[in-house]
Amino acid sequence: MEADHELGGHEAASDDRVGFGFWVYLMTDLLMFTVLFATFAVLRNNTFGGPTGRELFSLPAALSETLILLTSSFTAGLGMLAARRGSKNQVLTWFGVTYLLGIAFLALELREFTAFIHEGHTWHSNASLSSFFTLVGAHGLHITLGLLWMGITLVFIWVRGLDSHLIRKLTLLSLFWHFLDIVWIFIFTVVYLMAFV
Amino acid sequence: MNNVSHPAKIESRPGHGSVTSYVIGFLLSLIFTLIPYSLVIHQSLDKNALLATILGFALLQMVVQMIFFLHLGREKKPHWNLFFLVSTIGIILLVMVGSLWIMSHLSHGMSSMNVTDKIVTGEAIYQVNGVQVGTCSGNGTNHRIVLLGNVPTPRHTDAQICDTLTIMTQDNVTRALMFGPRAKAETYAGETSVSVSPKQSAVITLTQLGTHTFHDRKVNGPTGDFTVTR
Repeated sequence: MEADHELGGHEAASDDRVGFGFWVYLMTDLLMFTVLFATFAVLRNNTFGGPTGRELFSLPAALSETLILLTSSFTAGLGMLAARRGSKNQVLTWFGVTYLLGIAFLALELREFTAFIHEGHTWHSNASLSSFFTLVGAHGLHITLGLLWMGITLVFIWVRGLDSHLIRKLTLLSLFWHFLDIVWIFIFTVVYLMAFV
Repeated sequence: MNNVSHPAKIESRPGHGSVTSYVIGFLLSLIFTLIPYSLVIHQSLDKNALLATILGFALLQMVVQMIFFLHLGREKKPHWNLFFLVSTIGIILLVMVGSLWIMSHLSHGMSSMNVTDKIVTGEAIYQVNGVQVGTCSGNGTNHRIVLLGNVPTPRHTDAQICDTLTIMTQDNVTRALMFGPRAKAETYAGETSVSVSPKQSAVITLTQLGTHTFHDRKVNGPTGDFTVTR
């Protein structure tokens, strides 16, 4: 028991360090998104005679994406609580739901992108669309990488069971997922809602 | 598996949240998403108020998720994560406000056609039949045309490419010299006209070959021409 306790204290300190390092990464990522947001805000009206966001975007579709991602952030949180209780099956269930919601979000986003491209509104068309595809695409790429990371971690948990190493991975993963949801709130507001103001 | 067998110890560590905190965060986020959405759908406010309100709700939702999902501020002291977040937000404000401010000033009163013309004269781009073939280095001879009454002195100027032409007025009239004969407006090096204030002068760089006439916009104003050769 004494040895266990020592180990627990050491792991906790190490967790804090890793958590802080990951937090620093998230903040630099946030700065990258800031630059993309600033670019979009400057260029959003430079449509070169093409359609504006108001004519292109569908607000109900953007709302569904928002609600899906918000719910996935919530289920990731519940999965994290299950991980701390040590309940492997609940972790797999909640993160499985998170994973499916992430796939649904990505599918909706790709459907929107392909619809634009089929109508001839590509990232080549004008500065407004270039900045739109860069900003929203960068977020979509983060979601894709997050899903890859989540899939691998879930397979490990399924095979090896929950250990402290995997719980730490899940902690960082859920931090990343909540972070992406916060970035999306601003994409929803600045890109989609503000196009209709 | 060691950590997991002592749930009580782990639960006691700060910054992990509970089902209640996640549910509260989720419900508040839902509300803060649906309110701005319905405000935009119904267009119930005027433009600026609506803009401020939806941005306000986005910030509110960010704070809610940071408290209830990321459990910010519940870590052990010192709050390094919070410190890092606050400094990042400082940089974010600088970048966002700075970019929008500078770019709105730059684009103010400048149409894209204006920009092209200004670049052509500003960079003294050397043209042959309207095709840009190089730039002038700025050490050509200067020629002078003086406008007094209805007579330019001299009426005709011979110059070489990349020379400069100074147009001076010696009376109290503001001149707007148009390129081309009176019947047919032309452009010279991307410009349609040169304006000269009373007792001032304007300089153009001769970047286009050929003989070009100019005339004052007024009916009996001075007319003249200049020939640019290689």
